[in-house]
Amino acid sequence: MIYDDELETLPREALEALQLKRLKNTIERVYNLVPFYKRKFEEAKIKPEDVKSLDDLKRLPFTTKQDLRDNYPFGLFTIPLEQVVRVHASSGTTGKPTVVGYSKRDVEIWSDLMARSLAAAGVSKGDVIQNAYGYGLFTGGLGAHYGGERLGATVIPISGGNTKKQIMIMKDFDSTILTATPSYTLYLAETMAEIGIKREELKLKIGILGAEPWSDEMRKSIEEKLNIDAIDIYGLSEIMGPGVAIECIDAKEGLHIWEDAFIPEIIDPETGDVLPDGEEGELVITTILKEAIPLIRYRTRDITRIIKEPCKCGRTHRRIKRIKGRSDDMLIIRGVNIFPSQIESLLMETEGVEPHYQIIVDRVNNLDTMEVKVEVSEKMFSDEIKHLQKLKERIEKDIKDLYGITVKVTLAEPKTLQRFEGKAKRVVDKRNI
Amino acid sequence: MKRIRQISVFVENRPGRLLEVVDLLGKNGINIKALSLADSSDFGIVRLVVKGVDDAMKVLKSSGFTVSETPIIACMINDKPGSLAKILRALSENNVNIEYMYGFASPIERKAVMVFKFSETEKAQEILNKYDIKMLTQEEIREI
Repeated sequence: MIYDDELETLPREALEALQLKRLKNTIERVYNLVPFYKRKFEEAKIKPEDVKSLDDLKRLPFTTKQDLRDNYPFGLFTIPLEQVVRVHASSGTTGKPTVVGYSKRDVEIWSDLMARSLAAAGVSKGDVIQNAYGYGLFTGGLGAHYGGERLGATVIPISGGNTKKQIMIMKDFDSTILTATPSYTLYLAETMAEIGIKREELKLKIGILGAEPWSDEMRKSIEEKLNIDAIDIYGLSEIMGPGVAIECIDAKEGLHIWEDAFIPEIIDPETGDVLPDGEEGELVITTILKEAIPLIRYRTRDITRIIKEPCKCGRTHRRIKRIKGRSDDMLIIRGVNIFPSQIESLLMETEGVEPHYQIIVDRVNNLDTMEVKVEVSEKMFSDEIKHLQKLKERIEKDIKDLYGITVKVTLAEPKTLQRFEGKAKRVVDKRNI
Repeated sequence: MKRIRQISVFVENRPGRLLEVVDLLGKNGINIKALSLADSSDFGIVRLVVKGVDDAMKVLKSSGFTVSETPIIACMINDKPGSLAKILRALSENNVNIEYMYGFASPIERKAVMVFKFSETEKAQEILNKYDIKMLTQEEIREI
């Protein structure tokens, strides 16, 4: 279902005209209200009136996570705190978190965009949304919550964790939609099997999953285990929260980014040059509707590419490919770049391997080593050592053949690798560089 | 068909893991008749012949172990020099391959029990029959 028929199917020309108008307003706004931007623009010798077309966007300087940290907590806000109705912050694993604020209108727009996203994913009015995203400073919980309410669905604000209770509620409340991280969804499925809840006892039909990079193979695994449609959703707190982009259930191929609110660009992360549609690089987003903290050319660190071909669902907003990984997550093993999601894809394609794994990176005698721990499932368990050895060697060989790196695969007992209620942390990097 | 049900358990190669397996069976009153451990550098397989296979499977599974069941053949032989060689010769002459084997002595009249996993169980059974080697049933194993 299309939530906002007019805006979501706006012809490209009209959409781009709208973008330009909103971009100009945003630039005007940050230039006049945020000293940081004024200084940056002056350094780049550009004035708001120099931006005459969307193409001029590339002349503007980037904004980074570090800029948000340097202006901690409210330095990039365009409005005084008394007009800010809510703040969120991203989990700063190192140092200060990055803080974002929302005006009343920002919350309204976010709710609308999230409602739009949910509708694109196949949610409608009568649905019961079990919202297992964490509530709190993390945008996931409240973002999905407001969107669900805006759409007119019933929202269960259960938040993450407490897995057995989640399953009881899912069954007793007839939840039809699950919003959660993909790794937590797998954990839910596993716990269901453990406590003997059958899929037929649930009304679940769609999972709207995001907040961490995941693979198409993981999607297949989730869809098979739970017999649902698993939809990829994208967002980040700096830009808004969940609902920046989403797959439509019609195509399940790439995520529509709401271009009346955000302008996406793909850049070469090394040079900062804008790349043409279709080429892979870092996603950069400019917000053009936000009041409290608009961001100009924010470097998301997420690696993807733009799909410009029209989608069969009829929406005119372009799509981005499933996020391949965060450039920060990229592992460099003896000079070879590899994303955990690539290892994940390969494991999921290996017969009998459970979708739980962990990657341990270390440095031994000045050489990077990578160990991949995989859980042995009943399906792949053989009574004979040589069969298990063969499986292990096959995975090692596949990784070597595909990515050119030598890894050690270790078979672990089932359910011994950590399960995650929020974002999965699959990589342990022990290197002290 | 004189097949014995053997239980195999996957264990990581770390201290205390085997203890957990046998302790679990002990606490549930399951008697282990024979046990063998196959190992590689980082994992191992514990193979068990027990009294109460279904119970053992159940408690191991519910404690999160990966387990499987394998049909094996148990032969009763005289507990004296040269008995095992006799069986192995019969098998070898008939080109039957043994995947693995282990044994235990039985308290009954100086007998020993050898447990075999063959690549071709059917063929092995025929040969053993032909050479009049006594194979035990699940019930007989229980009584030993």
